[in-house]
Amino acid sequence: MRSKIRRILTPLLMVLSISISFAQEKTVSGTVVDQNNLPVPGVSVIVVGTSRGVQTDFDGNYSIKVNRGEVLRYAYLGLKDVERTVGPSNTIDVQMVEDAEALEEVVVQGYRTAAREKSSIAAQTISAETIENRPNASVVQTLSGQVAGLDISTNSGQPGANSTVRLRGVNSINGNVEPLFIIDGTPVDADNFRSLNPQDIASISVLKDAGATAIYGNRGANGVVVIKTKQGKYNSPLQINYTGIMSFNTLQDNDYDLMNSQEQLLLERQRGAGRGDGLTDEEIAAAPTFDWADFFFRTALTQNHTLNLQSGSENATQFTSLGYYNAEGILQASDLKRFSLRSNVSGRSGNDRFNYASNLTINYSNSGEPNGIGTAGINRNPVLAAYQSVPYITPDEYTNGAALLSPLLFANTPLFILDNLNTLTRTEEEVKIIGSFNASYKLTDALTANLVLSADYQNEILNLAEAPDSFNALLFGGGANPTSGFNDQQTRRQFTYNQVTSLNYSNAWGRHSVDVGAYLEYFKAHLRTFGFRANGLDPKTFYPGDGSGFVDDNSSNDFFVDQANANILNAGLFSYFGQADYDYDTRYGLTGTIRRDASYRFAGSNKWATFYSVAGRWNIHNEAFMSNSIFDQLKLRASYGTAGNQRISGTTYFSAPDLTKNLFATGAGYAGFNSIFLSQIANTTLRWETVTSANIGLDFEVFDRRLRGSIDVYDKKTTDLFQNTPVSAINAVTALNANTGDLSNRGFDFTINYDVVRSNVADGFNLTLKGVGNFNETKLSNLPSEDGVIIGTGRNDGKIFEYYTIRYAGVNPANGNLLFYTADGDVTENPNADTDRVWLNKNIFPDWQGSFGFDMDYKGFFLTTQFNYVVGVDRFDNDLAGFQNPNNIGQFRTSRDLLRAWTPDNRVTDIPAYDAFNRASFASDRYLTEADYLRLRFAQVGYNFPSRFLENTGLTRLRIFGNAENLFTITKWRGFDAEAQDNTSRIYPTPKILSVGFELGF
Amino acid sequence: MKNFNKLILIIGALFGLMACNDAIEIDQPGRLDADAAFENVSDLEAGLFGVYDNFDVTPEIAFSSVFTDELAIGFDSGGQGLADYGFVLNAGSTAPEIFWVRGYAALNAVNRLIEAAEFIIPENAEEQALYNQILGEAYALRAWGHHKMLKYFSTDLSDDSALGVIILDFVPTIDQQLLRSTNGEVYDLIEGDLATAANLLGSSTVDKTRINQDFITALRARIAAYREDYTAAANFSQQLIDDYPLANRAEYEAMFLDTSDGEVIFKLERTIGDNYDGQGVTGSPAAGGWAGARFAFVDATLTGSPYFEMGRSLFNLLDPSDIRYTVNIAPTSVIDPDYETNQNAARDILVIQKYPGSEGQPLMNDLKVFRVSEMYLIRAEAYVANNQLDQAASLIKAIRDARFGTATVAPVFSSQQEAYDAILDERRVELAFEGHRYIDLKRLGQRAGQGVEKDPVDCAFNGACTLPADDYRFTLPLPIVEFNANPDLREQQNPGY
Repeated sequence: MRSKIRRILTPLLMVLSISISFAQEKTVSGTVVDQNNLPVPGVSVIVVGTSRGVQTDFDGNYSIKVNRGEVLRYAYLGLKDVERTVGPSNTIDVQMVEDAEALEEVVVQGYRTAAREKSSIAAQTISAETIENRPNASVVQTLSGQVAGLDISTNSGQPGANSTVRLRGVNSINGNVEPLFIIDGTPVDADNFRSLNPQDIASISVLKDAGATAIYGNRGANGVVVIKTKQGKYNSPLQINYTGIMSFNTLQDNDYDLMNSQEQLLLERQRGAGRGDGLTDEEIAAAPTFDWADFFFRTALTQNHTLNLQSGSENATQFTSLGYYNAEGILQASDLKRFSLRSNVSGRSGNDRFNYASNLTINYSNSGEPNGIGTAGINRNPVLAAYQSVPYITPDEYTNGAALLSPLLFANTPLFILDNLNTLTRTEEEVKIIGSFNASYKLTDALTANLVLSADYQNEILNLAEAPDSFNALLFGGGANPTSGFNDQQTRRQFTYNQVTSLNYSNAWGRHSVDVGAYLEYFKAHLRTFGFRANGLDPKTFYPGDGSGFVDDNSSNDFFVDQANANILNAGLFSYFGQADYDYDTRYGLTGTIRRDASYRFAGSNKWATFYSVAGRWNIHNEAFMSNSIFDQLKLRASYGTAGNQRISGTTYFSAPDLTKNLFATGAGYAGFNSIFLSQIANTTLRWETVTSANIGLDFEVFDRRLRGSIDVYDKKTTDLFQNTPVSAINAVTALNANTGDLSNRGFDFTINYDVVRSNVADGFNLTLKGVGNFNETKLSNLPSEDGVIIGTGRNDGKIFEYYTIRYAGVNPANGNLLFYTADGDVTENPNADTDRVWLNKNIFPDWQGSFGFDMDYKGFFLTTQFNYVVGVDRFDNDLAGFQNPNNIGQFRTSRDLLRAWTPDNRVTDIPAYDAFNRASFASDRYLTEADYLRLRFAQVGYNFPSRFLENTGLTRLRIFGNAENLFTITKWRGFDAEAQDNTSRIYPTPKILSVGFELGF
Repeated sequence: MKNFNKLILIIGALFGLMACNDAIEIDQPGRLDADAAFENVSDLEAGLFGVYDNFDVTPEIAFSSVFTDELAIGFDSGGQGLADYGFVLNAGSTAPEIFWVRGYAALNAVNRLIEAAEFIIPENAEEQALYNQILGEAYALRAWGHHKMLKYFSTDLSDDSALGVIILDFVPTIDQQLLRSTNGEVYDLIEGDLATAANLLGSSTVDKTRINQDFITALRARIAAYREDYTAAANFSQQLIDDYPLANRAEYEAMFLDTSDGEVIFKLERTIGDNYDGQGVTGSPAAGGWAGARFAFVDATLTGSPYFEMGRSLFNLLDPSDIRYTVNIAPTSVIDPDYETNQNAARDILVIQKYPGSEGQPLMNDLKVFRVSEMYLIRAEAYVANNQLDQAASLIKAIRDARFGTATVAPVFSSQQEAYDAILDERRVELAFEGHRYIDLKRLGQRAGQGVEKDPVDCAFNGACTLPADDYRFTLPLPIVEFNANPDLREQQNPGY
């Protein structure tokens, strides 16, 4: 292997290496390694004060001719420079350590970057290190807990599932609440990361305050996440890296304490319901207990392979990445397969005035996504079957779908779903291409013209087929239609194009420096969907997605009429804006942004809006009076400004495209005749939601950078909230959306790192503690109703989406009925469903959330942990409601909790009598549960083989590691996954993941 | 190189500038602006089909059958409709919200059509006739729509000064917050609309799925009976009795299979591919969808997953030799004559077959709104009110003769109450699962001395067996959802809520 690669690489290296030689006194040679003792190729070794220099080769070796007494400087991006004076020795081996400062030095400012001391914004950047080698299909899931103020929850264990991302609270009620995601300059669909390979990412910057986001004007109101992918480096030899990860995913535990077959059947016999009714003790004792959760969920295997090749010559670089990811979901029939290719190329003119880069990624994925998740369909939802199926039914009872038709019993739920597994196909196929091209040209030393063109294209094809011999097809087709079943195909193509042209001026005089930019941005998005449902499939020739088995319409019935659908939507934005930054002596600085935006969603004078921000900074550590302080860095930042949200309804570019118009529609009406009907009542005053925010932050580094961190406090207010405003039913609807009401989010973020032990030697012991956190409080005001209350949204001065319901008071010891509180706090069995509801001061969003953990390394071994915590989340445990519902006895599995139900002999209990008259009468907070949790979200242990071990292996780098995700969770939540911020029952929980992997460098 | 880049930049900037409008002035394809919606009479006809589509009686069928004594919990119940089945009814319940919100949505749609018609001038006599027909149907629908709501939300249909519902005979603006009118005011509007409709409509009454003169007469008869204006009720019902013979046994069966109109005066068409072709919301007055899906998930047989079965107390009123037994009870039913002693629901499965399906689609049937048998029963009620008990008895006999296919013994009534009780029982059987029982108990129950009367076996599990006809729950509460926008209406909430 090694010799082969060598043969390929050697000619390349000869071309790439710079080897300038002078008359020599002596030759010094040596090896350059990094802190993990891995050789570093491409380090420039320069004789200080001359233009002589060489680069280390593939194995980190160099050889240079120098004079004694000259100083050698070793430099490599991301590592701290090292200088050595040439002495008598002919060998100088050098170890270079990572320069955390250098990595953080540049702060992404949106359309530009700035040195850290010249940045006024609240932002947090995380590097590839904390993203790489995690087993999640979607990078967003990996981000969870890593950034202060970024609340990420994933409500589904489907591989590659979309996560909900919120930065510093919820800024909108009906509209988009997720930050803008930008990958290499391309704004991308925030809901679709399953096709992107996280291993290609170099850094992720989260921009939080108005100072940072105002420049994104129409899309920056929820914050901005800027993702940069890896690039090759100029003047570096070809490096090849392979990473392989294998993961084992399992279902997380639950605390529902479900009954076994004996308990279930006894209870059924007692209640005279289901199979247990009439069974003898012997028959009950003999019944098998089958774990359906273990059947429908599985230990799922994931493999992830990534191969990177990167190199650079004097004026060109390339980074190429190939990825293959194959994940089984823990739920049967769910999976994701992904092929990804990335090619990032950059180049420059010989005089470095012209720079360009293109970033292109092409991805293909195919996923199996089971149907009906989260629904109550006993014949559709496999999660329902896994949780709720009675344990005494076993898969042996299944023969085929037809046999389940009679008798048709709810208790046969697992068999219906088992039949689904055999007969239902639901796959999504996706092609996703993201490409961007950027170029800049220095017109003068101070003036640069820039162009960024970018596009995001995705094509999804859903294929859903219900086989003609399936239980469902037979059930709904009936005897009249033996070739029932259907096949849907839905194609959704989405293309977005973004273009930014700008002119930047940057100059400095003495202690003054300015940076001014003028920008023009154009955005256009196009959606095209079409699809069909073919009704009627011939079992002889049916194959999902293939039309051979489609049955044609005939004159004797309408069973086989096929349906077609298609939709076209377009969206667009246009803006021009400017930003100016002034700096004095890297002590004081001021940044101002102003932006004019137009959105296709609005009409007339509301089409255009202006957003602005001002931000200031004070690098206190640069003041003379600080020269002997403990502070290595101390910076005070402040910003104030506005940003707009034009995605005021729905979460896609295309939702609510023309709410300013009264619209009619045509479609099937009475008796199937084509009809014309009103489809939308116009809102002529529709306008932008505006988020105004203020932020004050402090960045600090003390005790020789041992303690590093930042703290930000913020106050954000969304005005002109677009929300449901109740209208009288005489308008044919009970609510219309209008811009009314305010919502504030106040809170603070912190990020803290502390090096408890910092070794001075290369492979010594290092221990760093780290923590991020956010506290956020939402408050509604000016709600559009007479009494300042909108049920479902909240009340003035209250939390957003505050729960409003009757309070459950427990079980009446006298008769086992449910007790509730009236609004006044009295206890009753018969509360008023309207007037006894109260505000509970609880909602589903966290008050506190973040993470803490430590990083440790010693002699190549490393250990990382990340504990996520969430406080203040209240969710309805509707799964528990099902397990404790006596009406389910005989049909579904119940919890042992029911065994302590009220009886005349057991009067003091928390479970009402089975026949309590009011057990299904009132919505209450009985199942509203604290879902706060502390979870070991991530742990990694690994070992970097020192270079001496690799000497004759052909490898330059070998690293092995093991990961654990969601290893354990401490919570009061009894369900399978505390993380989902969702009140839906029977949803697909995220898995517990154990993985092993290795990384090879050639 | 330098010039080349400048060129790119200038082109880029220009492209951006010129393209500005194409990004922010976007007309989505396929949109129909209000101006273009109604341009001629045939557009109005399409509009009328849109209006008709707002009219449904499955919510009434669902609510009336679950809340009263027509049903029992089925063996395949997943807990559907337990609150309504247990007489739990409050301002947050589904039924009042659905009846209120959908009722006004229908009225809003009618008013928009009537308003649009004002701007359309028919071009010839043929168009004029169609135009008149469309408007006539629209006014009749508006009258029916108001009455459909009035009967649920008014405390006393016979009291003109009692509170009725909000009158909606115009296209409202979104800020309007209206209060309830009195029954008298609502009746004035209804009568005016029916008179207008009668003037506009043609004379053909062939198509039973479209509003015609007979619909107007039938609605007038029903309104008069509910209002206890028995002179008018007698007059209108008699007109239809004269024109429509009662269906014989074969016609009766065919009528519920939708293979014949039988004695139908008006029905709402339900067909494959229309907006009601689906399961709808099961176990809830939100309903929609196939009528039969109010009781079963799959079809109207034992294996069709009946989540509701026929209530034992109703079943016990049915005689196997009555065609109504055949029509209402699926032959696959399992009947346990000793159900009272056995107390085993699994051995006594009474599958409802009133909506067996049509056009090959199980559970989908046309919704019969007026049948002449109801006119017979209204006429009988009018006779009783006038203390002509024998005439009332002979009308009941006429119905039974048709249903049994043989001469039956005429009932004998010794008092008005006895006669009302018999009429109420006859309505219970004849109009079972057609959405009548709740309103019939509300208006006739006290006179008949009858309330909700479930067989003990059907309510052993929840104890909700009887509900007297004077209970406040025979008037629906105004729904919470309306108070959110119209808080002053809280003052006009019905008693008991």
